[in-house]
This record gives sequence, C-alpha cells and structure tokens, in this order.
Amino acid sequence: MSLMKIFLVEDNELYARATKHHLSLNPDNQVEHFVTGKSCLEKLYLQPDCILLDYSLPDLSGIDVLKKVKSSQPDLPVVIVSGQEDVATAIDLLKEGAYDYIVKDENSKERIWKTINNLRENAKLRNELDRLREEVNLKYDFSSIKGSSVPIKKVFKLIEKAIRTNITVSISGETGTGKELVAKAIHYNSKNKKAPLVTVNIAAIPKELLESELFGYEKGAFTGAISRRIGKFEEANGGTLFLDEIGEMELSLQAKLLRILQERVVTRIGSNKEIKVDTRIIVATHRNLKEEVAKGNFREDLYYRLLGLPIELPPLRQRESDIILLAKYFLKLFLEENEMEEMRISEQVQTKLRSYSWPGNVRELKAVIELAAVLADDGIIEEKDLNFNTVGDELDNLVSEGLTLKDYNTKLINYYLKNHNNNVVEVAKLLDIGKSTLYRMLKNKELIVN
Amino acid sequence: MADRVYDLIQLEELSGGDQDFINMMVDTFLEHTPGQLEELIKAQASNDMVTFGAISHKIKPNIDMFGIKKIIQDIRDLEQLGKAGQNNSELQTKLANVKAELTIAFEQLRQR
Repeated sequence: MSLMKIFLVEDNELYARATKHHLSLNPDNQVEHFVTGKSCLEKLYLQPDCILLDYSLPDLSGIDVLKKVKSSQPDLPVVIVSGQEDVATAIDLLKEGAYDYIVKDENSKERIWKTINNLRENAKLRNELDRLREEVNLKYDFSSIKGSSVPIKKVFKLIEKAIRTNITVSISGETGTGKELVAKAIHYNSKNKKAPLVTVNIAAIPKELLESELFGYEKGAFTGAISRRIGKFEEANGGTLFLDEIGEMELSLQAKLLRILQERVVTRIGSNKEIKVDTRIIVATHRNLKEEVAKGNFREDLYYRLLGLPIELPPLRQRESDIILLAKYFLKLFLEENEMEEMRISEQVQTKLRSYSWPGNVRELKAVIELAAVLADDGIIEEKDLNFNTVGDELDNLVSEGLTLKDYNTKLINYYLKNHNNNVVEVAKLLDIGKSTLYRMLKNKELIVN
Repeated sequence: MADRVYDLIQLEELSGGDQDFINMMVDTFLEHTPGQLEELIKAQASNDMVTFGAISHKIKPNIDMFGIKKIIQDIRDLEQLGKAGQNNSELQTKLANVKAELTIAFEQLRQR
C-alpha cells in the first residue's frame, strides 16, 4: 500500500547508485534508474509515484523533461536534484510545477529522504480521499432511492435527465419524501461530483445571517466581521448549491438571489469586486411555490428562474406498492447497523403499514420501523410493536381504512366498551345513544364483549 | 606510500558499513571517472569551454563523494570558469591540480 515507485533520472552513475542504495534502505521504495530524460519519458506509462530528476542530462534539459511530464501527468510529483546552485533556475522550475528543488551537496541525501517520505504521506492521504469520495458516491448512488412504483419511476427518469446537464432543478414534495436524497443523487452522479455539494437550509438560518452566509463578507463589512468569510455560493463553485426550503426566503433576499442567478457573479458584503461563480443550483420546498407567488410571498421572476427542471416527489401513500419494500430495506439497514439478529414483519403489520396514510412519508416509515425493531420480540414485528405518532391530521389516519359508516360506528362503540369495562349504561351516556340500541347490537353480535 | 588523498567516510555512512556496496561504488568510480578526466583535458585542449563546464559539473559530485578534499574547491572553480568561457592560466593551473590529485586517487583506490 505504501509502496513507492520512484523514477531516478541521473546520468552520473556514481550518484545514481548512491541515491538508489540510500533510498532502498526503506524496502517500500522501489527505485528505477534512467540515464537519459528520453528513456524516462518513454516509461511514464509504468505510472511512477514520483520522479527524482537531475537537472543537467545528456539529452534533454531538466525543464524540458519536467514540462513533458507535467503535460501528460499533471499530478505526478517531480523533484529536481541539481548540482546547480542557481536561484533563478530553481524558481523557474518550481513555477513549472516541480515539487521540490534539492541541491546536490552533503545534505542532499537527507533532504531526498525527507521529501520522499512527505510524498509517501501525501500519496496516502490522496488515496484516502479517493476512497472516501468513492464511498460517498456509492452511498448516494441511485440505489439509495428505493422503489418500483410508477410514480417513483417517473422521478428516476427525471433525475437521470438532470444528471446529464447542469440545469437548475426544483424539487417539491411533502416533508419526509426524500428531497435532500434526490439532490445528493443528482450531484454525486453528475460530472461535478468531485466539487463540493453545499447545502443551505434557508429555514434553519436566521434571516439576518442568511445574506452573509450565502454571499460571504469582507473583513470589517459590519460590526463583528473580524475576518473575511467565503459565502456558500463561492464554496460551491464548480459544484452544486442545494437551497433547501427556498420558500422561506425573504422577499428582499429573493431579489439578490435573482440577480446572482442571472449574472452568475456574487459580491461579498462590504466588497465591490464581483466574483464569477459556476454553480449548479438545486432548490427544494415543501410549499406550493405557485400559490406563494399568487399570495405575493414569492417573486414571480425568481419562481420562473428557479423552476428549471421540476421534480415532484410523490407522497408515500401514493406509492403503496413501495411501502413494504422500503420497510424491509430500513429494517435491514437498522439491524445491520446495530448488529441485531434477522427479523421479519408479520402479515398483519404489513397490511397495516400499507393502509396507513403516512403524513410524515418515508422519514416517518423509517422511524416507525426502527422503533418496531427495538420493541419486537422473537424475531418478528407484530402489531403491538407498531406506534404511529402522527402530529398531523388524526382523522386522515382514522378514515384511511376506508370502511362504511356502519362499520366505523361498530368500531367506535367497541373501542368505548373496551375502555369502560363493557359498561353499557356508561357508554350509552357518553356517546349519547339509547341503551337499547347498544343491547340490540350486542344481541346481533355486532359488538364484542370480552 | 603517500597519505591517502581520498576519504570514504561519506560512503561508509551511506551504506551503514556495507563493504560490498563500498566496493561496488569504488569500482564504479574507477570505471567512469578516469575517462571523464580525459574528456576534460581534451575539452580544454580544443578550447571547447561548454563541454568543459559540463564535464566539470559531472565530476564534481564524484570528488565530493570520495572525499578528495584538496580539489573539492578546484573542481567548482573549474566549472564556473568553464561556463564563463575563460580558458586562462588560472583554469590551467587548477586543471593540473585536479589531474594530479585524481591520478593519485585512482592509483590508491585500485590498490585498496
């Protein structure tokens, strides 16, 4: 892993042997020696980790070799080793992209040793970075958005279209439908994936701070601006800026945002210099922006500017066929994360999950499943483990079963009987119905008494 | 026999006392440096100062590495004079010094 393939380009046989010997004291250093610049350039396809380059070679000058290497492999570090103690040459070489400049003298072997070790450390960090990037990409791979229902497939198609260009994307959908996940899937699959994805939740930042957060400021722009700060727009340069809850933005700031989107330049607060930004914009909101425009809360020109490619995420209740798929997926994830035994979901629970209205959408489903997994006994999730803690409209849930009025009546009365020790008189009084009605229903076995 | 004009301390440090490595380095030195010295003398005789500077530059680290102390400065001066194109008496004197000292070093290293 920490093996370093070093190309040593040196026409002085003695010096080359000494250097090779010295570097080989570390078994991780693999040194290949070339006498001419040309022979080294011909072997570049072997992908060395670094090149130690003598400045004066019989065929090409050091600077020519350096330029050629840099034009084909700009990331390959080239360390110049030279008998010349000429500052101007050294500066020229460093400007051309040399990693270091080492003068051949009695200290040069220590310096080479140190430089190689630095490079090794660098390479390790770079590998680590690549690995982490890969991991993030994998995490926000398409497959993190689950589903095979018709409405979600429509969303997949739109995401694919968004990836191919850098068009502005506006994502709408109820809370918990996965708006941020879609933004990540777009960014990490686009050609800008190596540049950052910067997320700003407009609703989470006090409106007084939002402007400086987005655009940055110069030192002394206002009281407390003790140093310069780069805004989110600049931070996301070359990448993606995800503005979540865009519907919460103040009108005055909307005007500024519009200008940036049109001109593609930002001006830090307290500065008059315009900075070009090349940033893909993704916005999301749970509001209906068209309605907000009609109410005068959102600028119409900005609305059209931001609309771009609209992606509307379906609420979970419209994706009934995905519910069990998602429930099993979240359960598996949760069990793996917590190193728990395998678990299954009972038929009754599956029916219940399918018929529930899910006002909190996928996020709620995930929470319900995780809690159920914790509460469940004997490797199976039963009805007792399900807890729907809806904050929204209770009636929605109640009527989601789609029963007839008569059935709802029966259900309701049964519920009261159960909670009042089957005391018919008391229940009749509470519900303001005749005792005889209840007795008749009991007689017809419409009601259950335990 | 005269005092040794060379000093292998650098090589010993470098190799950690590995005699095989030191022998190999001495062989390499004896293989290349005499020829370089001849080229140097030839370049001076034909007044080719560009080549003269380049060859001095190449011989310089060899002299350093083998600790041939008496001419460590001379070879540097030769490189500078050569680059400046000054084939003068100062250069000729220093070249004679380098030649004499290197010749002794070759002889002593061969009999080591």
